[in-house]
Amino acid sequence: MDNKENIALDYRYELPVVEGNLKKSDIDDLIAAPLEKKANKNFYISLALSGTALLIGVVCIAITLFNGIGVWGNNQPVGWAFDIVNFVFWVGIGHAGTLISAILFLFRQRWRTGIARFAEAMTIFAVMCAALFPVLHTGRPWLAGYLFPYPNQNGLWINFNSPLVWDVFAVSTYFTVSLVFWYIGLIPDFASLRDRTLSKTKKIIYSILSLGWRHSHRQWQHYEKAYMLLAGFATPLVLSVHTIVSFDFAVSVLPGWHTTIFPPYFVAGAIFSGFAMVVTVLLFVRKIFHLEQIITLNHLEKMNKVILATGMMVGYAYAMEFFMAWYSGVPTEQFVFINRAFGPYAWAYWIMISCNVLFPQLFWFKKIRRSTTAMLVIVILVNVGMWFERFVIIVTSLHRDFLPSSWGMYSPTLIDFGILLGSFGLFFTLVILFTKSMPAVSMSEVKAVTEGAQPQHHGVSDHE
Amino acid sequence: MSEIDNVTKENMPDENYWRGFNELYNEPGFAEQSGPEFQDKVTDEFNPEHLSGLSRRKFLALIGASAALAGAGCSNYRDKGDIVPYNKKPEETIPGEPNFYASTCTECSLACGLLIRTREGRPIKVDGNPDHPVSKGKICSRGQASILNLYDPERLQNPLKRFGDVFNKITWKNADTEIINALNNTGSKGIAVVTNRIVSPSSLNVINAFISRYPTAMHYSYELVNDSIRQSAWAKSGNKGLFPLISWDKAKIILTLESDVLNAEGELIETLQQFAKNRDIDKPDSFSRLYAVEANLSVTGMNADYRIKLRPDAISDFLVLLNNGLNGNTSAVKNFADKFNIKEKTIKYLISDLLKYKGQSIIYAGDKLPEQIHISVNKLNDLLGNDALYRKDTEKVYLHNLSTSVELNRLINNMKSGKIGAVIHLDSNPAFHFSASMGYSEALKKVPFVVTLTESENETSELSNYVLPLNHQFESWGDAQVRSNVLSLQQPVIQPIFATRQKEAVLLTWLSGRPENYNETTYYNYLMKCWEQTYYKNSGSEADFTSYWNNSLHDGVAISPKKLSQSMEVSVMPDKSLPNYDGNYILILKENVLLGDGRFANNGWLLELPHPVTKIVWDNYASISAGAAKELGVKNNDFINISVNRRQLKIPVFIQPGCTDKTITIELGWGRKKVGVVGTSAGFNANDFINYDDVFSPWIIQNVSVQKAGGSYSLATTQEHHSFDKEREQDLHLKRNIIREATVDAFRKNPNIFGEANGKGHKTFYTETDQLFSKGVKWGMAIDLNKCTGCGACIVACTSENNVPVVGKEQVERGREMHWIRVDRYYSGPVEEPKVSTQVMLCQHCDHAPCENVCPVVATTHSPDGLNQMVYNRCVGTRYCSNNCPYKVRRFNFYNFRDKFKSGYQQENLFTLLYNPEVTVRSRGVMEKCTFCIQRITKAKQDATAEKTEFKGSSVRTACQDSCITEAISFGDQHDKDSVIREKMEHKLAYYVLEELNIRPNVAYMAKLRNTRSEEA
Repeated sequence: MDNKENIALDYRYELPVVEGNLKKSDIDDLIAAPLEKKANKNFYISLALSGTALLIGVVCIAITLFNGIGVWGNNQPVGWAFDIVNFVFWVGIGHAGTLISAILFLFRQRWRTGIARFAEAMTIFAVMCAALFPVLHTGRPWLAGYLFPYPNQNGLWINFNSPLVWDVFAVSTYFTVSLVFWYIGLIPDFASLRDRTLSKTKKIIYSILSLGWRHSHRQWQHYEKAYMLLAGFATPLVLSVHTIVSFDFAVSVLPGWHTTIFPPYFVAGAIFSGFAMVVTVLLFVRKIFHLEQIITLNHLEKMNKVILATGMMVGYAYAMEFFMAWYSGVPTEQFVFINRAFGPYAWAYWIMISCNVLFPQLFWFKKIRRSTTAMLVIVILVNVGMWFERFVIIVTSLHRDFLPSSWGMYSPTLIDFGILLGSFGLFFTLVILFTKSMPAVSMSEVKAVTEGAQPQHHGVSDHE
Repeated sequence: MSEIDNVTKENMPDENYWRGFNELYNEPGFAEQSGPEFQDKVTDEFNPEHLSGLSRRKFLALIGASAALAGAGCSNYRDKGDIVPYNKKPEETIPGEPNFYASTCTECSLACGLLIRTREGRPIKVDGNPDHPVSKGKICSRGQASILNLYDPERLQNPLKRFGDVFNKITWKNADTEIINALNNTGSKGIAVVTNRIVSPSSLNVINAFISRYPTAMHYSYELVNDSIRQSAWAKSGNKGLFPLISWDKAKIILTLESDVLNAEGELIETLQQFAKNRDIDKPDSFSRLYAVEANLSVTGMNADYRIKLRPDAISDFLVLLNNGLNGNTSAVKNFADKFNIKEKTIKYLISDLLKYKGQSIIYAGDKLPEQIHISVNKLNDLLGNDALYRKDTEKVYLHNLSTSVELNRLINNMKSGKIGAVIHLDSNPAFHFSASMGYSEALKKVPFVVTLTESENETSELSNYVLPLNHQFESWGDAQVRSNVLSLQQPVIQPIFATRQKEAVLLTWLSGRPENYNETTYYNYLMKCWEQTYYKNSGSEADFTSYWNNSLHDGVAISPKKLSQSMEVSVMPDKSLPNYDGNYILILKENVLLGDGRFANNGWLLELPHPVTKIVWDNYASISAGAAKELGVKNNDFINISVNRRQLKIPVFIQPGCTDKTITIELGWGRKKVGVVGTSAGFNANDFINYDDVFSPWIIQNVSVQKAGGSYSLATTQEHHSFDKEREQDLHLKRNIIREATVDAFRKNPNIFGEANGKGHKTFYTETDQLFSKGVKWGMAIDLNKCTGCGACIVACTSENNVPVVGKEQVERGREMHWIRVDRYYSGPVEEPKVSTQVMLCQHCDHAPCENVCPVVATTHSPDGLNQMVYNRCVGTRYCSNNCPYKVRRFNFYNFRDKFKSGYQQENLFTLLYNPEVTVRSRGVMEKCTFCIQRITKAKQDATAEKTEFKGSSVRTACQDSCITEAISFGDQHDKDSVIREKMEHKLAYYVLEELNIRPNVAYMAKLRNTRSEEA
């Protein structure tokens, strides 16, 4: 590997997606290994850690449900804080998965195969984490059913003017489509696993999950069609979900929220944070499960480029917000932005700017783009920065709005932190269980992009 | 094997009846058993030893106890007992309809008229009695909040007697018997009756009767803060009687000297009403000009047109300056102004104004200022002919003099030396009020027999042998001499909730010598007799006494064309020489308008009512200037140590803009040690500093030493502290047009000073709402910033009317107070001399309400008559509406606050009586906000329908409107062309807050006019 690093990469040609001339059976073995081997100590340690975090979250949620959300730091005027920050954060994390699996699929980006499965799984888990918050953050979570339009004898209906209702639909649609898309992609792999496994129970489970897949040409043909259609279906969702989440803010009258730039800005931010999270997790996964040849440095580098690009989009949005505040001539708007950068929450703002705009600039250097240590540091900083972005948007806009008399400060409580920790616990617990129960990388797709897997015109390679 | 199988021919019974198998089979032993009815050991003789330990009585007791326990233990929250309808309809009561009773507030000596709203026999709201000639339908925050004391579960519920260190319940009969015996056995030792000022002539009659019954008895009285200096000075200025009442409404120029006359001093309600008369925007020429000279920023200072920041010990120099100035010598003004950092021109304005408006101005010195200053002020007023503003038509009456400090000290010495055999505290709390250095508490321990009559336990009751519970004022009969020609009557509106009695009845019972003589009408009869014998005769009324009495009772007040009684001759204080200004730290002790002398220290509504100036709740503090803070090296909340003559206090500081350097102001009435759970650890007790022998004034202490004490406290405030040093945060309320201000002069010159458009001129995309609101009633409110002094009475009224919970200090610190209406206070200008603006802020009921379209579940909607409504049952609590409310007037129940506050204190059953049955009590997780008192609107509609009259918007008055002493709030139907509200909304000075958002609020504000001099405009 080290040798390879020193060889200048020739970007004029498409880089091999799978390295090391792996045979197809090697790929199957490699990917199926975690599912077929007994769990080792590291697995239990990591599961214990994330489980503990999850448990802390569960306890904090129980405390919240028992007492009311007064146990959080939310107040007047800061009605939303960690609850919605976490919600937007997790919804954003999910975006990379759909982008990689659907959009990159439509753009025929073959390198997506190594990471798509995992990213999609993360999407689903992230949306599960996110879905916790809209319910928990309400004062009376037991009445969350009111948010759905169901016919009832009281003749009550929901308010379709409210972005929160749009949220309900956007997020639930997104979750459903992502889940179906993910599952369709898993079917051939479940079939492979069914064929490989020696355990009777696993065989039964995989048989059921693979829905009678026999790898026949006809099935493949249907499969490819279905996959493509779903990819087409999922693509607009990448843009719509975070657009709608951004409407939660953009539709309001609050300075700092009421901005037309929000939809693209939020989508870029979501992809930015999502890719950062995917890189964070994949760095560990490829190391632990020895998938370096399938999730190669080239993959990571490409993702880092996406991070660099979206990071700059986000940076542009930050700058544009300030510009528009000045250009609009609305004093309250101007105040909110100056207050963000120099007010009592300036520290949060500058964390956001440095993590999201400054540090990702290091990815201009190829050395850093390809250094696993450096990128780990940067992507974690991006995750932090993107969490703070939502904090800055939500809390700093609310804490000082129109009437100076109602200004206030917000400070989170231990319960707030506990629930944040718990959401990470839930996410990582699900991720860890996923790596142990399902193929973390798509076996069928990776096999399809190995050298010589596709019929070729010239018999050598497929570039022109 | 079954027994049937054993049946053979032999043992087959005859065809007899058998009682069981034993008999059927003739088993041995059966005959024996069935033979004699009683077995050997059973005898007819009753021997208790053979019984189990359970006696019949015990058995019955246990059965009863088990039943009671089962009943109590198994009852659930739904089980509120039987709901029994009236099977005989009580006269005057229609279930669901409120009854109103006129009464008198006896919580302070002003004796304002009350109108108490009761529902099904329980008082639920207090307002002012409109028939009362002095308070004219208005009462202060304290009066309104007094209803909470009625339902305070921590009130004393039974007489208590001390046994060693503990108090045990005893019956009234036993208490009375023992006390009568003890009083009779005092022999030659003195009996001291200690009271506050008595304003009730009948009550004083009872006390006097008591005094004459026991020859050694003496009546002592005191008030924590009083006007004895003013009265003494008045007498020394060569006048008779009491310091006269002042026609504030006739004054063109008002100069107050260290006097919070608009908030805490004098005839509060009347002064405010008269003052507000001259703040009428329709008569800009009638505006008075208020100059306030004061050290710390008070409500009066906030509302002053010119505020002169001056230490109280420099006021005598200031008066000399003024006197010279009035005589044409203004040479020293510049030096003086420079020395005390005052604007020279302000003093010159003042001098020329006083000269210009001779006979139409008034100089008013504060109660706390020393006698010499009062005498000089009296002289100046005479000189300027301002005595024309002294009212001649009526005068104040003091039925008795307060004890002088000499008398009080003599009492304490006598107590110490054992000359006093009994002390009776008649609703007074000297152990708290008297400075510890007077040694009252220690002296009390030497008195063999101490009785305290009080509504709830206090510092004095703790040191007593007997503690007797008193009626709340709503449970009492009484009268009050409000003016020389006005008497006010107090009537109970509810049976005593606990085993309490009223103090006069208790004394009368003791006087009669027989405890069994007490009955519920003891004092009622006495009171009637007093009235019949004195006022009825004097009234010259042609009606018989019963109808005279009933009329007076109905009106709550009796007005006589003649003087009903004469004030006592004022006791004159010994002369003291006034110390000169020395520039050292000075301590000013002020009465707190909310807690009074501390008797409201367990009242959550008042404790949580933001201070009108500082917006701090649940605590008092040492208010100092930014300069003093810098000098002492302290920040807000840091502790300082104040000490003078071995008296010491550690208290947190609050940096007050506009405060003179080297002055510390502390409000009194706080820091009660023996108080209920609500008032526990609220504030710091500064009573210790009151020094009746001080050369300057008992309440203004010179030469105090102050040091930083280390450590800090947490003062809770409902409004973020204002930043003066950041330019971008300064004067935002003016830059954003939240507050609009102009001068009277500018407005007179150009009535369109704020332009023609008044907020509704913006175009809209949503024209359908305009059509929707074009017909029928459309509610609106107008708030006149010229009249609002920022006192906060509206907040208490709203709390009471709308069942707003108390959340506690910790929750206020976290920004979760629940008030539906608030009074915003803004500073502008430099920190040394800020201009202050106040603004009442509540739900603006916007036509295009931003809260409504963001609610996902349609829990907040708009009514056709223009109300922004909350549907509590539908609310899931997303708080999106609150985030999107530009006024941030929505309030969220982060907890079930009634449950959360002080371990469920507000969940006590007694509180359920307090709640307005017309308003839902909100629970956890629900958003709430001002409803424009929709229950009152609905009631008015019902009444109009029932009476088949046209429904007029003017028939509805909101709770805040009712409570506003200065009538700054108007409410009504904007579509009603003749209505006050329409007129106000179309006024040139009307504006809407945040008009530019085009959300079309329905609360209009009348821009504030400051009556500064024309050369300043």
